[in-house]
Amino acid sequence: MTAAAPLVLVVDDDPSVRKSLSRLLESADYAVEAFASAGEFLARGPHPGPCCLVLDVKMPGLTGIQLQEMLTATGRRMSIVFVSGHVDVPTSVKAMKAGAVDLLTKPVDVRDLIAAIQRAMTRDEHERASETRLAEVRRRVAMLTARETAVFARVVTGMLNKQIGAALGIGEKTVKVHRARVMEKMQAGSFAELVRLADEVGVTVPNS
Amino acid sequence: MKLRDLARRATGRPTKLVLANRLRFETLLSALSAGLIHISAPDTEVAIKRALQQVVKFLGVDRGGLDEHVDGSPGLRLSWARPGLREPPPATPDDQFPWVGAKLRQGEVVRFSRLADLPAAAAIDRASFERRGTRSKVLIPLRAGGPILGVLWFASVRDGHAWPDDLVERLRLLSEAFAGVLDRRRMEVSLAERLRFEKLLSFLAAAFSHLSAADFDPAVQRGLRQVVDFLGVDRASLIEFTRDGTATRSWAVEEWMNVGEFPWLTARLQRGEVINVSQVEELPDEAAVDRQSYLANRVKPQVAVPLLVSGIVVGGLIFSTVGAERAKSDELIQQLHLLGEVFANALARKQSELEALRLRQDLTHIGRVSALGELTASLAHELSQPLTAILSNAQAAQRLIDADVVELEKVREILCDIVADDKRAAAVINGLRALIKKGETEFVPLDLNEVVGAVAWLMRSDTIMRNVSMSLELASDLPKACGDRVQLQQVVLNLVLNGLEAMREPHAGPRTLVIRTARDGAALRVTVEDSGPGIAEKDLGHIFEPLYTTKTEGLGMGLAIVRTIVNAHGGAVGAENNPAGGASLRFTLPVNREPER
Repeated sequence: MTAAAPLVLVVDDDPSVRKSLSRLLESADYAVEAFASAGEFLARGPHPGPCCLVLDVKMPGLTGIQLQEMLTATGRRMSIVFVSGHVDVPTSVKAMKAGAVDLLTKPVDVRDLIAAIQRAMTRDEHERASETRLAEVRRRVAMLTARETAVFARVVTGMLNKQIGAALGIGEKTVKVHRARVMEKMQAGSFAELVRLADEVGVTVPNS
Repeated sequence: MKLRDLARRATGRPTKLVLANRLRFETLLSALSAGLIHISAPDTEVAIKRALQQVVKFLGVDRGGLDEHVDGSPGLRLSWARPGLREPPPATPDDQFPWVGAKLRQGEVVRFSRLADLPAAAAIDRASFERRGTRSKVLIPLRAGGPILGVLWFASVRDGHAWPDDLVERLRLLSEAFAGVLDRRRMEVSLAERLRFEKLLSFLAAAFSHLSAADFDPAVQRGLRQVVDFLGVDRASLIEFTRDGTATRSWAVEEWMNVGEFPWLTARLQRGEVINVSQVEELPDEAAVDRQSYLANRVKPQVAVPLLVSGIVVGGLIFSTVGAERAKSDELIQQLHLLGEVFANALARKQSELEALRLRQDLTHIGRVSALGELTASLAHELSQPLTAILSNAQAAQRLIDADVVELEKVREILCDIVADDKRAAAVINGLRALIKKGETEFVPLDLNEVVGAVAWLMRSDTIMRNVSMSLELASDLPKACGDRVQLQQVVLNLVLNGLEAMREPHAGPRTLVIRTARDGAALRVTVEDSGPGIAEKDLGHIFEPLYTTKTEGLGMGLAIVRTIVNAHGGAVGAENNPAGGASLRFTLPVNREPER
């Protein structure tokens, strides 16, 4: 993973707004990429490093809100700072509920904009970190055998070894061995930690 | 008949010579009387003069004459004198001939064969006759059934001409024939006069009937001028009262009448009274200000009539004239009342037209403001873009300047962009101001392509938000139209808004709006074509009517305003459905004929 400078992606249909915002953000030491429409932005593809989106609400073609919906639907997580000239209340509520970091009214003051972008970057970092962690936990879960997974799912619900053995039709001792393997593979230092990891990835008991 | 009666009565002293003479005279008189019966007004003077000549010659006297009196003033004055004799100066009975005048007014015949025959009471008259060289004279009052119309007289410069009773009787008969002619002539003249007046009235009524408020002033001036010429008065003024009762404007021939200088007159007019002032002395004490104004302006005798429209005084018509007698005449007052009615109607029409104009301006203003409400969102967007760019650029520049090494070239570039965006914001605001401005209509030659372009520019972001693609198909070399720029922008704007509204409902197919300009014969045409659902056949003929709307929202005023404005520009509106779907709304305007300034 390369340590790229935080990138701000600007989407606005107005060329002078794009140009001026880019200048301003570059003067605040951000890397900036500007797009004239949602389509142009989508064509660019995801950015691996820390980034956020400064998005105009009203645009020809796909609007800012529609782009947000599309990103959510396709699982492309983005921290979004909306900027707009005139936004009605329902639109703002929709944007914020859908996870926007902020919604700023044009013309935007540099302090407000940079504060919002910083918050967006922090959130991006958090989400990026938790995504990385989740991927790691999932990697560990993936290393478990079927039997180990079955034991894991039951252990974290508080079932006793004896009960698990009965449920799976194996001996109590065998359950103990599997349980030790799970603890090891999941790199859990304690039972409590194992439960938390299970929570993170959402391990559930199969009904069978 | 009368001649025969006379002939019977006159058979007193039948000497042969006298009889023969009498016969000749009777023949002459009956010929004259017969000749006068069918005489028409224009020939009267010649006929009477010829008759006078014949009678003077027959009687062997020196002068004969006929003096008409009209309402106490001298009227027609005809006389004939033997060659070599001076015609007498016009008689002025009352100061030079008081005694004779009094007798005549009583209907009595005055005759004397020598000056000495006149009684002592006629001393003044005698002196006057002496000065004129009259020694013998007969004066017979002229009457044709009614009042005394004048006097018929014959005179001799020598003493001793006898005026026997039978001669006087015959002359009285002649006088009756003359009086008949004068009476008829007077009636004909007054009939002709009345006819001319009727003509003037109908002419003025016609001239005022299709008057636009703008043409009012010159038309009233012309009308007053005609009235002045017709009535033979000196000045005429028209004053107008507003609803709150103050005198506002006046129009006048010859001299501007300052209404404020005549408060008493104005107040009485406002009460609906007729005012007739022949002399300043007649003014009452409370008219002190008016008196000063009369003296200062040397205003002549004045007659003023109020102008009433359905019982309300809307103004006054004021005349001043030289002749005090004239000003008192009932006939003049009557005529002024009739003229007053014509002018009152003109004033009322002007006021109601101005009212209508004001309403129309209010309406278009309302239309603009409500259209503006619909546009607020897009205008805010339109303004926020340059403002955003300006602020961001300015703050970027601040940061650049705070840096250790200032990149001046970058800052300069930023400043250029700031100026450009500021101008862009100003243009938005100006466009807005032009729309809100509740202006007077200002007709100028203008390019319809520019009008369409300005509206399209204004509507740009609105069409984007509505997901409509707007295109312009503008005719090149389009001649100029003549009109009010703001109002015509309003027309195009309302048509565009209507098209956008039509495409509001979800429907399949492209959402396109095309604005076209074209030359259409002697007219210019602007068409706004949408790809909406079209207009129902039953609505096609009504969509330009006020408050007619097929939409759930909206007042139904947008297209009515379009029609009002277009009609006021001498153009027409129309609507039809396109073969390929959607509707086309259009308006036409005449090509500008005014020379360009």
